[in-house]
Amino acid sequence: MGKPTGFMEVERKNDSETAPIERIKNWREFKAHPNEKDQRAQGSRCMDCGTPFCHTGHMVSGMASGCPVNNLIPEWNDLIFRGRWKEALQRLHKTNNFPEFTGRVCPAPCEGSCVLGVIQPPVTIKSNECAIIDRGWEEGWVTAKIPAVRTGKKIAIVGSGPAGLACADQLNQAGHSVTVFEREDRVGGLLMYGIPNMKLDKELVVQRRVNLMIEEGIEFKTGISIGNDSEWTTERLRNDFDSVVLCCGATAGRDLAIESRDADGVYMAMEYLTTNTRYQLDHQFDGSNPSLNATGKDVVVIGGGDTGTDCVGTSLRHGCKSVIQLEIMPQPPEKRAANNPWPEWPKVYKMDYGQEEAAAIQGRDPRHYLVQTKRFIKDAAGKLTGLEIVEIEWAKDDQGRFVPKDVDGTLRVIPCQLALLAMGFTGPEQEVISKFALETDARSNIKAEHGTFTTNVPGVFAAGDVRRGQSLVVWAINEGRGAARECDRFLMGITNLP
Amino acid sequence: MGGVHHHLVAKGTRTLVSIILETGEAREVHHFSTLIGYGADVINPYMAFESIYKMIQDDMLEIDFDKAVYNFIKGSIKGVVKTMAKMGISTVASYRGAQIFETIGLSTDLVDKYFCGTSSRCEGSDIDKVAEEALIRHREAFPDRHIDAEEAALDAGGVYQWRADGEFHLFNPETIHLLQKATRTGSYEIFKQYAKKVNDQSENLSTLRGLMKFKTNRPPVPIEEVDSIEAITKRFKTGAMSYGSISKEAHETLAIAMNRIGGKSNTGEGGEDPERYVLMENGDSKRSAIKQVASGRFGVTGEYLVNADEIQIKISQGAKPGEGGELPGSKVYPWIAKVRYSTPGVGLVSPPPHHDIYSIEDLSELIHDLKNANPRARINVKLVAEVGVGTIAAGVAKAHADVILIAGHDGGTGASPSSSIFNAGAPWELGLAETNQILLLNDLRSRVVLETDGQLKTGRDVAIATLLGAEEYGFATAPLVTVGCLMMRVCQKNTCPVGIATQDPILRKNFEGKPEHVVNFMTFIAMELREIMAELGFRTINEMVGQVGCLDTNEATKHWKASGVDLTSIFHKPDVGDEVGAYNQKSQDHGLKHALDNTHLLALCKPAIERGEKVRVELPIINVNRVVGTITGSEISRKYGNKGLPEDTVYLKFTGSAGQSFAAFTPPGMTFELEGDANDYVGKGLSGAKIAIYPPRNARYQAEDNIIIGNVAFYGATSGEAFINGIGGERFCVRNSGARTVIEGIGDHGCEYMTGGQVIVLGETGRNFAAGMSGGTAYVYDIDGLFEKRLNKEMVNLYRLIECSDADIENVKTTIEKHVALTGSARGKFLLENWTTELPKFFKVLPRDYERMLEAFKRVADQGLTGDEAAMAAFDENLKDLSRVGGN
Repeated sequence: MGKPTGFMEVERKNDSETAPIERIKNWREFKAHPNEKDQRAQGSRCMDCGTPFCHTGHMVSGMASGCPVNNLIPEWNDLIFRGRWKEALQRLHKTNNFPEFTGRVCPAPCEGSCVLGVIQPPVTIKSNECAIIDRGWEEGWVTAKIPAVRTGKKIAIVGSGPAGLACADQLNQAGHSVTVFEREDRVGGLLMYGIPNMKLDKELVVQRRVNLMIEEGIEFKTGISIGNDSEWTTERLRNDFDSVVLCCGATAGRDLAIESRDADGVYMAMEYLTTNTRYQLDHQFDGSNPSLNATGKDVVVIGGGDTGTDCVGTSLRHGCKSVIQLEIMPQPPEKRAANNPWPEWPKVYKMDYGQEEAAAIQGRDPRHYLVQTKRFIKDAAGKLTGLEIVEIEWAKDDQGRFVPKDVDGTLRVIPCQLALLAMGFTGPEQEVISKFALETDARSNIKAEHGTFTTNVPGVFAAGDVRRGQSLVVWAINEGRGAARECDRFLMGITNLP
Repeated sequence: MGGVHHHLVAKGTRTLVSIILETGEAREVHHFSTLIGYGADVINPYMAFESIYKMIQDDMLEIDFDKAVYNFIKGSIKGVVKTMAKMGISTVASYRGAQIFETIGLSTDLVDKYFCGTSSRCEGSDIDKVAEEALIRHREAFPDRHIDAEEAALDAGGVYQWRADGEFHLFNPETIHLLQKATRTGSYEIFKQYAKKVNDQSENLSTLRGLMKFKTNRPPVPIEEVDSIEAITKRFKTGAMSYGSISKEAHETLAIAMNRIGGKSNTGEGGEDPERYVLMENGDSKRSAIKQVASGRFGVTGEYLVNADEIQIKISQGAKPGEGGELPGSKVYPWIAKVRYSTPGVGLVSPPPHHDIYSIEDLSELIHDLKNANPRARINVKLVAEVGVGTIAAGVAKAHADVILIAGHDGGTGASPSSSIFNAGAPWELGLAETNQILLLNDLRSRVVLETDGQLKTGRDVAIATLLGAEEYGFATAPLVTVGCLMMRVCQKNTCPVGIATQDPILRKNFEGKPEHVVNFMTFIAMELREIMAELGFRTINEMVGQVGCLDTNEATKHWKASGVDLTSIFHKPDVGDEVGAYNQKSQDHGLKHALDNTHLLALCKPAIERGEKVRVELPIINVNRVVGTITGSEISRKYGNKGLPEDTVYLKFTGSAGQSFAAFTPPGMTFELEGDANDYVGKGLSGAKIAIYPPRNARYQAEDNIIIGNVAFYGATSGEAFINGIGGERFCVRNSGARTVIEGIGDHGCEYMTGGQVIVLGETGRNFAAGMSGGTAYVYDIDGLFEKRLNKEMVNLYRLIECSDADIENVKTTIEKHVALTGSARGKFLLENWTTELPKFFKVLPRDYERMLEAFKRVADQGLTGDEAAMAAFDENLKDLSRVGGN
């Protein structure tokens, strides 16, 4: 390691960001890496631990601790410090097919478990990762690697999200002929339509990688919804291909079955986000907005997670009148609670980009904690006009379970013309699963062990959210890679894939 | 290599040829050492060279290829030489084919063919498995299908640093986290999760005990009837980690915790601040119950020894047998130097051997000396698990050790050299089983306590240790993990971020360990052990010790390499009668009642010890009177500490021939006048007393031409004065750190490893004077003009005294005057009378590191700094000095 004392000499420096007030005027990414000297200095803060917790990626107390794709973080941190960017890129690509995605959208459990985090702000692992791959693209180091020998085996992958793409990349590199089916008009799944452009640029980042994969020989078929498509039936997939890997996500959003859910103005967050991104891409970000927009409206986002944040950021860019976010859980503490020690994922209060933007314009964090929506209120025309909400507290019921309890005197109505439901996902959509006659687990996900990824149907594998349930992009990559390995083993008897 | 070598040996033609080995695999010191040890004359590690070439081509190294290869070879040779040195071999001719190795996990068939004569105690892989491993590596390098993306970057491996898909480590992120969480929250449930992960080695083999399972034909007993947790934790110890290698905070936390549960913590080889002997306000104690005495003897004073419940003689260290501890100068902070009686900023190297032990009789003497220095303490001898340790242990038991520790190989700090951590030593399972068997066969087992350590992590580990014969247990890494260690493996860099293996004041603030964490750990271990005891049907540890019948080979092990292992020799129970005790049942007879101190001195000196009254005693002495004055001195140290009594309070005049270890470890206030002569080890560990020895007044020979004291005088002395009117033996003042001595001639290796104090030699010295000397000053009267030839200049500068300061010259002169006054030295008188003509023949020997620090001290003193502030300023200045040598 280059600098054993780096962490004692250099302070953490985050990526610079365009000021919220400026960045909400457009849909562009707003983060910029430090200059090379500073980024290298950030690399020197890595302690090159004998036991690097950042690199682990196991589940601790139900959350990922460390990197789920086991990125060789200390190794490329050191290479950055030494200015050996190209080797850093090789080490990074060894474990992660798409660092430009995770470097932008990953919540970075690696930083939560960084050993330096025990005593100081952790190493800027996510920023370092992103800097390596961005530089790789800039320098032209990321080029198409076309397999020299083809095995003659054909594989269908259903779904082009991070799991499907990772799986496709690995299997293609192993020499198989891979076809990826996507029901939307563009490739990328949640990467394309789930995450807004300002967080992950669709043309400059997502499409760039997809184009490379096409050049490498992967075939993408868009607009085909396996399970519903009459031409590409599941039987045809079984017949035409030697193996099928299902990576179709856990896209069934959690709904809110309360009074007047049918009011005009209540939307699932994904519908709102997808509509917007598709529109913006179709209109080349010309400043106009789709008809489903937040312009001039009082927006209430129900749900305090990343998707909720994306709704806030998108609403602000639409020019909403106001936006707030309702969260049923209490506000997390400023510092780790005693029952949430390092290296567990830190459940602490953080301002994400959407909240920062809202705060810059509205003067405060848009999130309201311990709030429950009782009913939607609509006018005679069926249009949404407001929400009835109540503050709650969590109390144990007679069976010892925590349940929400209304706080007396806090019931009130707030104005709202656009309500966005961002309360997570309940599981995969069932059409594909039933058509393939796959067994599911108690949570309606496809039943397949992590590690083998095999379903009850030989030759059919499952990876990503469709198997694991709603999760992180980085887990999807982990599963896509793992399923590729097992699929390769299934087809060839042995495998060299990791 | 082994096959060809042995074939040629068998045919009687080996000496006619040289064997040149070309191999891509050899790349590390251990590889080269092993290959030479099994007969290689020349090794061409071409793959290593080609890797270097590639690294240069890829701009990973900015160095000329030839120079890089030269450096690689030079480094490798240094490593091999160090390995040879550890095994006590000086020339490669003696080392080549010497087979100083033990195999673990190879079948006898394979060993007989390729490593004929090497011991293999637990069988293991045959040649097919070795071949399969080679094939696995080959397949990885040359796969049937090339995947470019996979080949661009090599696998990380994970041997030196943990990696998710690399070498398995028992301490990994998961187990470290579980152990910390369990001990911090006091959750036995979480501890059991941790223990399960460590204990279940069916898929990832890490230890020999991982191949074992319990069996019993005894009925289970209710857990309430099993030895209590408190009774069990009394048998627990923490490992010998010095204050210096770990921080004050970490060291004291371990001590407080062990004192709370009635266990024992260990000073390690680094002395102990007397401040820790005083009880804390809340009733806690920071005193380490075990005081280690190792080859460096750092901080081993009379007071240190009397503050022990157990004194441990470290013969060797499990993780790095044959090596001493090394503390680089950058870690010798002022507060560390203080308790070690050394100089801040100057590196400290413990010599590989104890200079007072060259035979089992010498060890017996040291055990006896230490027992005199503290009759209330048990004497523990620490050995390492290697083949043959049982025989050594039998000797140690006969030499009256109270406790014998068998240290396993996989303990040890991250600061040990990698080649040692990974390749030296053997599992405690082997050493312990062998020792227990041999002690039983010789009916010595019941005379000693048998202890083991080396990565004991769970109650199951302790249960297996007990069944193999141990009744006390040491833990080191695991307790450190509970107080925050995250296995950074930077112990040698002073950058430990959690404030454990560092002396950096800023990093030490990060230490968050609490004694409660260690107490919880020890309690949990005891709880898990009790559950196993109940299940196996043992009510007490004593009845469980050595019951190897309760162990069996674990057939459920899934690892493909485990099938050939045979643990029969470990599970062997010697056929001895019921009269042979299987655990510690009686105490050793140290023969203290015959000591001159107990027969005469103690009673005579009572007024001085009790009331500080002056006492003068005159007694004859003969050479069966060993360790004279030490018990008396220990009583003074016990009562008055290191400061002892005012000068000459106890004045002892002896006439005759003193036995070994005259006045060892004696404190200030005691004066020993000896008219006659003395055996070896005069003033061993001298801690402030004054000694004057001269020939009989009526002797007709010239004192300065005749030997008056034996070898290894003043070894490890920390303070005091000595005036010897005659010649001393070899190894005079080795590892002296504070005593001021005058003598009229010495044998070889004088002042070796000295770190402080002053030696004046008014006559000839032997060869190799001042080897490894890093502190203190020596003045030599160069009587024959040949001194410079006998001096080892590796670490010291030589000056003519006449060119030194007036204060220097005055110091030598007044010291000689005192020598003459106390001994009547004729040589001394001659020098004083002819001072102007003889002064030019005096040399001053000053270690370079020490000199640099003295200058730094002088500069900060000139800036008006004093005391601790001055020491820290000088230390900091030294840290920035790039010319500073690393410490050895």
